[in-house]
Amino acid sequence: MAADVSPKLDLLRALLAPRTDVALVTEDERGALLAAFTAASRRVGKAPLVLADADRARVRSAGIDWPLATRVDELWRIAQLVDAASRPDVDALVRDCFRGGDTDERCAVLRALPLLASPERFMALAADACRTSVRTIFEAIACENPFPARYLETLHFDQMVLKALFLEVSLARIIGLDGRRTPELTRMARDYLAERRAAGRAVSDDLTRLAGERS
Amino acid sequence: MKLIDPHIHMTSRTTDDYEAMSAAGIVAVVEPAFWMGQPRTHVGTFEDYFASLVGWERFRASQFGIRHFCTLALNPKEANDPGLVDGVLALLPRWLEKESVVAVGEVGYDDQTPAEDDVFARQLELARAHELPVLVHTPHRDKKRGTERSIALVREARFPEERVLIDHNNEETLPLVLASGCWAAHSIYPETKMDEDRMVALVQRYGAERILINSAADWGISDPLKVAKTADRMRASGIDAAMIEAIVWRNPLAFFAQSGRIDVAALNAEPEIDQRELFAGNSVLRAGRKPFVRR
Repeated sequence: MAADVSPKLDLLRALLAPRTDVALVTEDERGALLAAFTAASRRVGKAPLVLADADRARVRSAGIDWPLATRVDELWRIAQLVDAASRPDVDALVRDCFRGGDTDERCAVLRALPLLASPERFMALAADACRTSVRTIFEAIACENPFPARYLETLHFDQMVLKALFLEVSLARIIGLDGRRTPELTRMARDYLAERRAAGRAVSDDLTRLAGERS
Repeated sequence: MKLIDPHIHMTSRTTDDYEAMSAAGIVAVVEPAFWMGQPRTHVGTFEDYFASLVGWERFRASQFGIRHFCTLALNPKEANDPGLVDGVLALLPRWLEKESVVAVGEVGYDDQTPAEDDVFARQLELARAHELPVLVHTPHRDKKRGTERSIALVREARFPEERVLIDHNNEETLPLVLASGCWAAHSIYPETKMDEDRMVALVQRYGAERILINSAADWGISDPLKVAKTADRMRASGIDAAMIEAIVWRNPLAFFAQSGRIDVAALNAEPEIDQRELFAGNSVLRAGRKPFVRR
């Protein structure tokens, strides 16, 4: 088990224990793991994940300063992927869960990425996820997720921010945006601002701020 | 009145259709996996199609306040491509477990070939293994014979008839299906096959028990509002409200709820559309659109 993942896995297991009886799948057979990943929404259930103050403190001290998951089945799926970190086929497994997943499964994969060992391995998957037309999937990678600011290449990060503006997703939800602001991103925002004004469309505070027209 | 369209191919329909359906009272749809108008030639094409039925199309429907369920299978036409059969059937164990899959379908006959026999039988076994009901397409050519053979195959497999929905019925096939334990659906089209007036006549003759209607709207000339229009025609013909409600709501819900994957209470409690509300966490608004509220 990779050293940086084990304490996080213990934490995830501790959060799951009072919320579900469904155990994580530890067997080698990949099909069983994929099946359990899919079945989680029906077996574990979709109750919202509500953390008590003590839980929140534990999460923060594990270095997790973003919301882990919105629902218990999502948390379970994330834990299953973190648990799979020691498998030699973990890269392929993560990609397979994404590619073969429905919307909720894909969201769980994206929210798991920052918790996996060597997350930079999944840059391409994250960039591809940003291309989605399914708003929920876009929000799972772009919002309340530290992965893009830490690992996405500039081209993909900038396009993600622009898309957030298009979808009217609040830029405040993009973790680490300030640290990734560049002259080129400002240029893109200015051009988009000019385009909206030329079309007589309303412009958001997010857009004017990103374009440098207000602080 | 709230409506379900239990057989409609939304991948081929535009957002105008979704808007009109929502305004007409459609609260939920079941989209069966079928063919795409021309042959698929790779197993991967089916996998991506299945993914779109449980993913993108389900999301697209939610943008209009419509709950989207689907059925998955290798359809009768493409069952005749030996290069695809084993590969597509091998996908199903994984994809049949997705939460919005409420039946194995469309299965059945197209030309009534031995290959179609084999694929139909194998998919009944898959349905049994995954505890799902089955949606059976009846052929447009030699339909009565195809319907008889479908019922015979279900019986030979000892598959419970109450978990089988036989679709695209007409005056010739409906009595056969009702004499079995299977459910009977009817696809109402603008110019061909079954229409509103003939459906009214069938209901007046046979009642509403185990009877469903759908639009089967797809890439061809079809009308995604046929469930609403047929309900209206039934009402105008004096058919009793409780019977209409059975045909357009309670029966499709009861049949597909046998999958164990539909929250019936939630659907029954589903309010009228209010786009100001988030639907399952997704905003129904595109950037810049005003919300509409239908009461």
